[in-house]
Amino acid sequence: MLCEGIGGEKEAEAAGKMAAVEEEEEMGSSCSWRMRGVAVVLLRGLLLCALVAGSGWCNSVERKIYIPLNRTASCVRLMNATHQIGCQSSMNGDTGVIHVVEKPEDVQWVLTDGPHPPYIVLLDGELFTRDLMDQLKESSRISGVAVAIAKPSPVKGFSPASKCPNDGFGVYSSDYGPQYAHCNNMEWNPLGNGLFYEDFSFPIFLLQDENETEVIKQCYQTYNLPRNGSVPQYPLCAMQLFSHMHAVTSTVTCMRRTSLQSTFSINPEVICDPLSDYNVWSTLKPVNVSTKLNSTEKVVMVATRIDSHSMFWNVAPGAESAVASFVTHLAAAEAIHKAPNVQSLPKNIMFTFFQGESFDYIGSSRMAYDMQKNKFPIRLENIEYFLELSQLAPTNPSVFWMHTDPLSQRNLSDQINTMLVALKNSTAGTGVEVREISSSQALPPSSFQRFLRLKEIPGVVLADHNTSFQNKYYQSIYDTSENILLNYPEWLSPEEALDHVTETAKSLAEVATVVARALYQLAGGSGSTTAIQADPKTVTRMLYGFLVRTNNSWFQSIIKADLKGILENEPPPYYIAVSKPVNATYLVHYVLANLTGTVANLTKENCLSSDGDLYEYAWVQGPQDPNSTSSRLPFCVRSAVHLSSAISPAFELREWGSTQYSTWTESRWKELHARIFLVASKQLEIITLIVGIVILIISFIATYFINAKADVLFATPQDSGAVAY
Amino acid sequence: MNLDRVSNEEKLNLCRKYYLGGFALLPFLWLVNVFWFFREAFLVPAYTEQLQIKRYVQRSAVGLLFWVIVLTTWISIYQTHRAQWGEMGDYLSFTIPLGTP
Repeated sequence: MLCEGIGGEKEAEAAGKMAAVEEEEEMGSSCSWRMRGVAVVLLRGLLLCALVAGSGWCNSVERKIYIPLNRTASCVRLMNATHQIGCQSSMNGDTGVIHVVEKPEDVQWVLTDGPHPPYIVLLDGELFTRDLMDQLKESSRISGVAVAIAKPSPVKGFSPASKCPNDGFGVYSSDYGPQYAHCNNMEWNPLGNGLFYEDFSFPIFLLQDENETEVIKQCYQTYNLPRNGSVPQYPLCAMQLFSHMHAVTSTVTCMRRTSLQSTFSINPEVICDPLSDYNVWSTLKPVNVSTKLNSTEKVVMVATRIDSHSMFWNVAPGAESAVASFVTHLAAAEAIHKAPNVQSLPKNIMFTFFQGESFDYIGSSRMAYDMQKNKFPIRLENIEYFLELSQLAPTNPSVFWMHTDPLSQRNLSDQINTMLVALKNSTAGTGVEVREISSSQALPPSSFQRFLRLKEIPGVVLADHNTSFQNKYYQSIYDTSENILLNYPEWLSPEEALDHVTETAKSLAEVATVVARALYQLAGGSGSTTAIQADPKTVTRMLYGFLVRTNNSWFQSIIKADLKGILENEPPPYYIAVSKPVNATYLVHYVLANLTGTVANLTKENCLSSDGDLYEYAWVQGPQDPNSTSSRLPFCVRSAVHLSSAISPAFELREWGSTQYSTWTESRWKELHARIFLVASKQLEIITLIVGIVILIISFIATYFINAKADVLFATPQDSGAVAY
Repeated sequence: MNLDRVSNEEKLNLCRKYYLGGFALLPFLWLVNVFWFFREAFLVPAYTEQLQIKRYVQRSAVGLLFWVIVLTTWISIYQTHRAQWGEMGDYLSFTIPLGTP
């Protein structure tokens, strides 16, 4: 190819422009020159013209050949202590003839019948199953897969996660409840096909835009479709997928190589990064973060996860796996803060939002580790109760389940019972019912297990499922707002939709009310709890912001001005990623600060300089000024919200092969993109190449002879001129 | 340097320097010696210093052969086994190709 990518085009354009300028200058100054000078300049000008024309031509050739696919997501390589998972292409991208597979029978063509391997399979979302992918994986005739997202979501469910999420990193092991280890007792995610944890040697891309999928299908139907039993002829429609990964084998290998490079290389190249971000936490009564809490002070800890993933990089809608529960958690935090006299409760309440939980509990394992090592203001001894909100999608009727650890029931049955009773008592007057699960059932995958590994703490995990997950799309691309039945009437404008109280919001607000009341009681509150009420309006705003579009007037008003760029007309991905903090963390941080903080009457300068150990101060954009269209009314928010590192202790300890802590890393790459174009047959390509070489050789020979006979061919003009004069 | 314009003593001197220099783990000096003085050692009419030059060239050739064998063996072992060596392979490498084990 002559020039590749946008960079190449731009350079060529720039070169073209410079050449044009140079040419003009030379032309201008050449007027006074002698004839020979003019001739030289003319020649040079011609060359430059060719260059200018060449750059334009190159540019348009690129466009004429390729159709880039802009709305795609790619499967990338991740690694843990022992394995690599995900996909990769070769360095220059993998190319194959497109074949559309819409019915299971269609796959025979690519596996055996088709005469033009390798193929790139355009797979209908409904057919993206373990069985089919296993068949493709074994075939050497496949150079890539493009998956068209299914709309509506597959009815029978789809989850690329494993059947036993975070197996081996929870509390159950051969030492603690061996009968529950490895989900012996309960397969939590029966729909999990484990595709996410497979290692594919070819690239897999997700096509997110139906129009682009349609363009590809059109190209396929025009060129590649076998007609009346005859084999399609060249040119054929092909696709090229680029997702070359730098890291390989395992976290141990790639982290070792990265650290080796950084020790002696002048230009060190990082090849993989640990998955890491920040946990968000805050307390009801502010805690001094530079000292340690007195061991007599007790804390009730509430926790949820704020991350999810899917098979494709940075596509992680996580509506039921994360958003519904952390929204409930936020609403409960607001309800408690608004209740009267909460600052005088005997115990403190800690609201914790963990990042990276879907990758073997990154956030919670780090916080528990820090608490154990006295690196966190709160210690494990301070935790009196632990309440976790696991997946909480609205159900009908509204029944939620309180999961407990069957083993700690023995020693801690009193405290656990207190928690169960507090939760049950709190349902009075709401439409929610909470039930206990059978006493022989293990805890579902939860952050609480990481704390239980270190200390027996009484805890309850509240979830929408009794036995296995209710979520049909656990950690998949289909776990979107539709999965928690979040619907808005079509005629609503974005601003109206923001405040439109949906059924989902009402139902989650009731759960939040129950949680808030239970927390109040567990924290030692003795008064009536009826005044504690979560606001459905806040819940609906949060659901809209976190699941529909972050660029709404409420989010705009509660974040700092320099972060307004993170707001978009779509929900944020809830993938933990390697850059930090990710947008989702920022948003949870500022929503929590807004809901639990107070407006401090400070100027901008004072606000920015008063960050301390107790409180965090944020100068936020504020609402739109009603008297003017462009300006805002910024203000200062004082809250007890803090961020804490969510990077696995394995990387802190440089134990990259750890089996105790999460070791997930993400490979680096240069480019992820996909494009389609028409390919000619191999014969035609070879003929073109040979003709080119022949012409080159002929031109060499011609040049040689012309050079040899130059004195005959080009009789010097001076000689003849001299004679003439 | 054109050897034709150098005196025979000078040639011997040069050849000896290259031969001795090769022992400082510089097999390329031996390589140069062999190619440069091959004509002088074996093809041109005999002269007094030629016998010594011949000896140095022969010895350089032997040393060169030794190095070629050692390096070829090592490079082929390294290229085929680096991935299997794992950690040791990484420590022995200056640059590691991206995306391969």
